Order: sequence, then structure tokens, then C-alpha cells
Amino acid sequence: MSIIRTEKLEKIYQDNGVPVHALRGIDLEIKKGEYTVIAGPSGSGKTTLLNVLGALDKPTKGNVWFEDQNLADKKKAELSDFRLKKLGFIFQAYNLIPVLTALENIEFSMMLLGKSEKERHEKAMALMEELEIAELAKKRPNEMSGGQQQRVAVARAIVNNPEIVMADEPTANLDTKTGGNLLDLMEKMNAEKNITFIFSSHDQQVISRAKRLLYLRDGLIEKDS
Amino acid sequence: MKLLLKLAWRNIWRNKRRSLLTLAAVAFATFAAIGMRGIQLGTYDVNIKNAASMFAGYLQVQKNGYQENPRLRKAVKYDEKLIAAIKAEEHITGFTPRIYADGLVSGEKSKTSQGTAVFAVDPESEKKVTTLVERVNEGRFISSSDSYEIVVGHKLLKNLNAEIGDTLVLLSQGFDGSMGNFKFEVTGTIKTGSSDLDGMGVIIGLDTARELLYMYGKVHAVVLMLDNMELIDDVKTSLSQAITDTSAVVLNWGEVMPDFKQSIEFDNISGIMMLAILIVIVAFGILNTVLMSVTERFNEFGVTLSIGMPQIKLVYLVIIETIFITIIGIIIGDIGGWVLNNYIVDNPIHLGAEFADMYAEYGFLPIIESSLDYMIFVNVSISVVIISLISVVYPAMKVYKLEALKGIRYT
Amino acid sequence: MLLNIAWRNIWRNKRRSLVVLSSVVVGVAAILVIDGLNNGMLNQMLYNQISSSVSHLQIHKSGYNDNKVIQSFIPESDKVEYKLQNTAGIEAYSKRVKAFGLVSSAYNSSGVYITGVIASDEKRVSNIADMMVEGSYLTDKKDEIIISKKMAEKLNVKLGSKIVVMASTLDGSPGQQLFKVTGIFETYSSTFDKSNIYIGLPDAQKLLEVGDEIYEFAVIAKNHEQIELLDSSIESGLDDRYEVLNYKVLLPMMIMQIQLTKESMMILNMIIGLALIFGIINTMLMSVFERIREFGVLMAIGLKSGRLFRMVVTEALILGIIGTIAGIAAGYLFTLPFVHYGFDFSVFAESLKSFGVGAKIYPAVSFENTISVAIMIPIIAVLGAIYPAYKAVKLQPVYAIRHV
Repeated sequence: MSIIRTEKLEKIYQDNGVPVHALRGIDLEIKKGEYTVIAGPSGSGKTTLLNVLGALDKPTKGNVWFEDQNLADKKKAELSDFRLKKLGFIFQAYNLIPVLTALENIEFSMMLLGKSEKERHEKAMALMEELEIAELAKKRPNEMSGGQQQRVAVARAIVNNPEIVMADEPTANLDTKTGGNLLDLMEKMNAEKNITFIFSSHDQQVISRAKRLLYLRDGLIEKDS
Repeated sequence: MKLLLKLAWRNIWRNKRRSLLTLAAVAFATFAAIGMRGIQLGTYDVNIKNAASMFAGYLQVQKNGYQENPRLRKAVKYDEKLIAAIKAEEHITGFTPRIYADGLVSGEKSKTSQGTAVFAVDPESEKKVTTLVERVNEGRFISSSDSYEIVVGHKLLKNLNAEIGDTLVLLSQGFDGSMGNFKFEVTGTIKTGSSDLDGMGVIIGLDTARELLYMYGKVHAVVLMLDNMELIDDVKTSLSQAITDTSAVVLNWGEVMPDFKQSIEFDNISGIMMLAILIVIVAFGILNTVLMSVTERFNEFGVTLSIGMPQIKLVYLVIIETIFITIIGIIIGDIGGWVLNNYIVDNPIHLGAEFADMYAEYGFLPIIESSLDYMIFVNVSISVVIISLISVVYPAMKVYKLEALKGIRYT
Repeated sequence: MLLNIAWRNIWRNKRRSLVVLSSVVVGVAAILVIDGLNNGMLNQMLYNQISSSVSHLQIHKSGYNDNKVIQSFIPESDKVEYKLQNTAGIEAYSKRVKAFGLVSSAYNSSGVYITGVIASDEKRVSNIADMMVEGSYLTDKKDEIIISKKMAEKLNVKLGSKIVVMASTLDGSPGQQLFKVTGIFETYSSTFDKSNIYIGLPDAQKLLEVGDEIYEFAVIAKNHEQIELLDSSIESGLDDRYEVLNYKVLLPMMIMQIQLTKESMMILNMIIGLALIFGIINTMLMSVFERIREFGVLMAIGLKSGRLFRMVVTEALILGIIGTIAGIAAGYLFTLPFVHYGFDFSVFAESLKSFGVGAKIYPAVSFENTISVAIMIPIIAVLGAIYPAYKAVKLQPVYAIRHV
């Protein structure tokens, strides 16, 4: 069952008046439970593709379907709601809200959904236990290491049981060992909870552990393995 | 909603120094505004009370049209009905009739005479209504309403080259047009500070004036004193309705002393303008602070938006943060302002003696008083809140238009 | 060099600098506009008093000003007049007879200050002739009287009516004379209007039976700012039978009021200055903390702390100076059209008239205040920058680089 499907996806954006053809026609299909990495040299358009798939950006031409709904039909507020309920995001940096504790950060999207305090708390604590970060519960981001922050970010991304988690260079600021541990975690989530993961990365470690690799060059898929 | 409040509160304290400075700015402006307004309004009240109790009273009953164009013949009927209507008002603590005229006063033994403004009063009732009797400078006030005694403005007496105990002749045009003249014994001088009375005025008994001017049954004004300044308009309305004489009007002190009233209003308006400027300056400070704190967090906002926080909630967040800072500042400013005003109310500032004369000339006391009227605090606080909301519009717009991606990638 | 760097640093964050600048501009402009209005009002009050009756300088018999009695006419006034004609610095002078009496019509009467003048001379010293609303000013004919509009209403008379003026004569008996109202005036001061009337000098002398005597010389100086000089120059030519009083002595209340206004402006300036300082401290702090790493690097490679301190303070100083100049310009520009047309305060007409101002106020920004603002605001900017500059310097190079 395909979750995301694109058709002739093109994206052009303006860079100081010069049009940049970031995506030149992408057709792809991603199925539930996949563990896919989008790789490629810089300028290949991998972050752009991830952004479009994640409903953060709109394509210039072509369509994106999510579970048979065309994202182009949705208005800004609907997309926001869509991201809240169906997607999870992990970024390279600035993932967590600095003034909230780890626990509160994980509870955050549940709060946006209006879940009760009891439910949020239980779910969040349970997840933290599972991910072995329970001791970080009352700490603020500036009291954690980079690796710890990213682990919390993973928890936050999956706590609402999203369909897909989009991860943009999640290991970029981490050393090899920490990065590896993070990947272990995400693979575990993928396997146990059948959450689809789509990465964008140029980190060799990430690429080598990909189950499916989409290699982009100059806005087109060069290889799909 | 609770989430927003929690986030907003914690966000403020992320940059303690900046928030405290902004808070301090708001507190200072509020404090200064309350102090200034307190002094303005408090001093007005003191002066109104003074002017009213010295001569004009809080309300007066006159013949319609006398105030605009005073003429001897425009007198109001002073009869049982009027007195009954006045007595029926529970907040009127005293009333006293007056007759006014212009005349020529000359010393009998010295050879000078001067034009003069004649004020005829009934000393018994006048005592209960105004402090005019206490303004006697030397000698004593007239003893009764029908005596042939006269109290003279202290400057006028000097110019007449006369002294207490001398006889003066007062010449004036009566109700029927004929010139009447009487001799009076000077029993005292009066000093009010206003050159009208002091340099040109004389005071005689009401009944004597009636004889001199052939004015029976009528007076030019009935001066009323109230127990509560705030009720002036209410009593005015109710008394107007109670009076059956349609040619009589009830005037408040502002209508009797329009110059005085307007100078107060003029000062009031200039005071409000200065306040506005103060608050506008603070607005710039708030604008800068909020703008800075917002742009600093664009990355974070971008992430928050991408995980699905509705845009409008982010805008609310910024607005709530601003309101928190403003309100804390206002509370501190209010407290400080209250302390300052209270202190001045208990310890009014007396200006130097050199200023006393200048102020008296315009009918003001050389005192600086303050006021604890709650409206001052309310008005200032609301103005500060409003101006801070206006300042937050621009940063809020920036947050409203922020796209998740642009935020994430912002440098 | 430092100046150059400071200048460029200011514009690194255009928006922030513009916001701070705007607050300074508003504060400065506001101070100047308010000052302009206050000054304008006071100037008008003074001018109106001087030009309607007080003039720049008055000469009387010694003691007359405190005790205006009919016996105190000027001794040997023709000798005094001769002296005046030969004193430099006098633009014009007028002889006056003054008394306090009663004016009556069939309808009403009123105590008045009577002034007897020679029309052609008085016109050069007083502007009442320009304030006629009906009829004309005195023409040195017999039995003319001009009164104010308010007086005419009170007496219920009009142009051409006959009224009686009564005053006591030199020997104490009341003198009276019939006059015809040939002109009605209205000045900016309702207090003046309420009690002043003018008749011809010879008529006044006849009314008071004082022969040729006069009571006052009213003098208009060529340069009123040097009035004390003229005062002493005239005084030195006269003995102590006379008193020579300039307008500052004759209008002590005005002078006091001008003084009082100056002081309250000072207080207002301080309050506005304080309000501005918070914004400056905040802005400079933000800009310093943003550049903490950069400062750390600079100091690590050898920039002395004194220079860094000065650089930060200079940035604030530049902002203060630009804001002040722009604020002064804005204030003057805003005031300029009103200098010509006047601010219409007719809502407060009655009150303003009782001060002697008139319903329109012509603002006049004082040079003095402009200078004091121009000095004060940049100083405030510098004061606001001291704490942030101190903070910038206090950082150890190593600490600063690691500060994220």
C-alpha cells in the first residue's frame, strides 16, 4: 500500500532573482513501512524533495498524493493539521523548544491535539522508557548533549504514531558513534511500529544502512535501489 | 491555551536582562504618567475647592443671562419659594445671597476717590458658605447685613489714602437709575490675592445695599455650598427642576468662572499630550524588544510550525508574551505611582512665597497636591496596554507570515 | 577609523537601529513642539501687555507705581520730556494722564482705569489703535472716548452714545464730564478690556483739574533686549524724584511665569530622557550580545578593552546624535507652518483671553531649549551605552568564543 506518490514533480525556486530548478520531474512511490534514504551531492535537491513530501513546500509542477489525497488541494491550515496528525519531523538542529523540558517537548504535539494531561503524560513517559531516555524527562535542551537532544527529537516525532517520519540530516551534528546509536533507534521504531522513515542525508553511515536508496542528481532520480 | 500561557511565560525569562529592561521601561512610564496626572488632577481639585469656598461656591442661582451680561437690573427673585427649594436639597450645606454693583468710593477726609466694585453680603450666612469672612487682613469684617460698615480691598484702601476707622462715601447707580450715596465706616481690609477684590473691591451689608440701590426682594446671586464636590451636577439638575421661577438658572462654578475652568482644561489637555508622548516612547522600546525576541526564534518557530502548530497560535504566543511583560511593568508602575501620589497627598508641596502672588492672581494656590483617584490608574494602565498591543502588531504580522521552511532556514 | 566601524555596525541591523532612532526623534520633536507652544504663549502674553499699555519702560514720580494717587504727577515733566528726546535708544514715547474712576451710562456704571493720551504719540507706543472693531481711535478732538466691546455691552451703549466719566479731582471733589463714544476696541486680554478706557490728554487734565500735569511717560525702546541699559541711561539723567521702571519690574508675574515654565520644561525633558534611556540600554545590549563572539575574537587578537568600550559607546552616541538632529528638524518642521498661521485654540478662547493671549498661539521654539536638548539627548545615549559597553569588555577572550 503506497503512502506517498509523486507524479512529474518539479520545483523551481528563486535565488536572488535566478531561478533554480531543484526538482526536474520526480516520479516515485513509497510504501508503508519503508526505510528510505534520499541521497545525492549538494544541490541535488534532496532536501527540497523531502520538504515537498513533508507538505512543507508546494511543487511548482506535478502532484503529490498522500494516501490518495492530493496535497495540492489542501489549504495552508489543512496542511498544518495534516502534518500534526500524520507526519513526524526530525531536523538537523533546533528540533526542540528550548524552554520546555524533554518530557514537555514530547508532549507538545499531543497538547496541540488536545489530549488530556493524563494521557499525554502516560504516553510520553512510556515512550521515553522504551527509548531509554527516561532520565532526561525534566531536563531542558541546553542541559543535554547533541545526541540526547536528537533522541528526544525522535521520541517527539513518533509519539503521535505518525504514518511517516521525515528526517533531514539527523546525524549531521553528531559523532559517528552517537549517530550510529540514533540510527539503531530509528531502525527499531521502523521494525517494531511499522513507521515509514524517509531520510535525506549525505552521511555515509546513513546511506549504508538504507533499505532503499534514492540517489538524486540535478533534480532527477538517478538510481533507485 | 494553558500551553500557550506556559510557553509565553517561560519565553519571557529566556532573556532575563532584556525582559527586565523592557519591564522597567514600562514601569517607569506608568509611574511617571501616574505621578504627573496625579499632580495635575490633585492640584486642580485643591484649586477648585479653594476658589469655590473662597467666593464662588460650587453652585449659584442667578437670573438667566446675568452671568454673560451683568447688569444691576438682571436680578433674581429671592423669595420663600426659592429658599424652600434650596433648603430641600439634602447636599446643600449652606446658601447665601449676594448683590453686586459698581460705584465710586471716596475718602471723606482725604481727597481721593476711586471706581469700585461693590459686593454686598449677609455676614451671617456668608460665614457658613464661604471663607470670605476669614480673608480679613486687618480690622474686622462687617458685623451685620444692615450696618453702615464697609470692608475695603487692602490695595484700594491704600490708594484712597484712608485707614480703618475712616469714613468713606459710596456712590452708586440704583435699580431705578438714580444715584444713591451713603457714608460707611471702614472696619477692615480684605486680602484675597486676586486684584479684582483687593484693588477695586469693597464689601458692604446686603440689606444696606438694598437701601442704597433700591433693590428689594431681589439679589444677583445665591451662592451654594455642597458637602460633596462630586455631586455638583446632580444637585444642579435636581435644584433646577425644583425651582419654579423660570427666569432663574442654576450655574456650577465652571459656568460662573469660565476663565478659571478653561485654564484648568487647557492645562489638562497639555498634560494628557505629554502623557501620550511618554507612552509612545515606551511603545518603541516594546516594539524593538518584541521584534528582537521574535527574529531570534525564527528557527525554532519554523520547526514548531513544521510539526503542525497552527500559525495563529504562534501569533497569540507572541502577543501573550508582550502582554505579560506589559502587565508586570504596569503593576509595578501602579504600585510605585500609588506610593508617590499617596506621599504627596499626605505631604503637599508648598511653593515658595514668591510664587504665591503670581498664582493668586490667576486664582490658584501655590500648592502641589496629588490625587489617588482610581481613574488615573485605570486610564494610564489601559493606555499602556493599548499602546503595547499596537507595538506588537508589526512583529505579530511577521510571525503570521512566517513560513515553516523560511523559519527553519533563517540566519 | 573607530567612527567608521561604529557607523557600519549601527546599520548591521537596520530595523533595530531605525526603531531606536524613531523613539529619539519622537522624544526630541515632542519636547521642541511643546516648548514652542509654551514659549509662544508666554511671548504673546508679554508682547500683548507691552504693546497694549505697559510699553518697555515707564517714568513716573518716585513712588507712583505703588501708590497711584492724583497728587503724584510728574514734577517738571517738560524737562523729563526734553531728556527723553535726547536719549539714544528710544524708538518712541507717549505722555499719559491716569486715574481710576467711574464710567456710567443710563443703564449701568463701571469702575475703570482712565488713561488720557495724545493720539498721535500714543499710537507709536501702543497698538490699541490696531484693535478697533468699530469706529476709530482717538483723533485728539474734544470729548472723545474709546471703550472696549465688553464695556460697551456692559454699559449698553454703542458708537455715538454719550457716557459720563467721573473721577475725583485734585482737591477731592468729584469731577465729571460727558464723552461721546467714537471708537470701540477689543484686545487679546479680557481682563484689560474689562476695565480700561481712553480719552484725550487735555480732556483728562481738565477732568482731574490738574492743569498741565501728566503722570506717566511710556517709552518704547529700539532694542528691548537691552532694556536695562536704556533704563540706567535714563535713570542717570534724572534725580531721585523720579522712578524709571522697565517692563521686567512692571510685570514681575510675567517674568516669574517665564521662569517657572523654563523649570517645568527642564523636568519634562528629564522625564522624556529617562524614558528614552531604557530603549537605548536594551538596544545596545542586544547588539552587544549578538556580537559577543566577534568581540571575543577581536580582543583575543589584541584589541585593547578601552577601544572596544569606546566603540560601543560611539555607536550609541552616533544614534543619539542622528536622532537628535532628525528630531530637531522634525520639531521645527512641524512647528513652522503654525508659526505663521498659529495654533487655533479657540476652544479655550475665554481662558486664553484672561491670560491675555488670544485664541491663536504662535509657537516660538527657544534657541536655548534647542541647545539644551541637543546636548542632553546624546549624553543620555552615551549613558545608556555604558553598561552594555562594560559588558562587551568584561568578557574573557576564551569565554567569549565559546559563548553560543
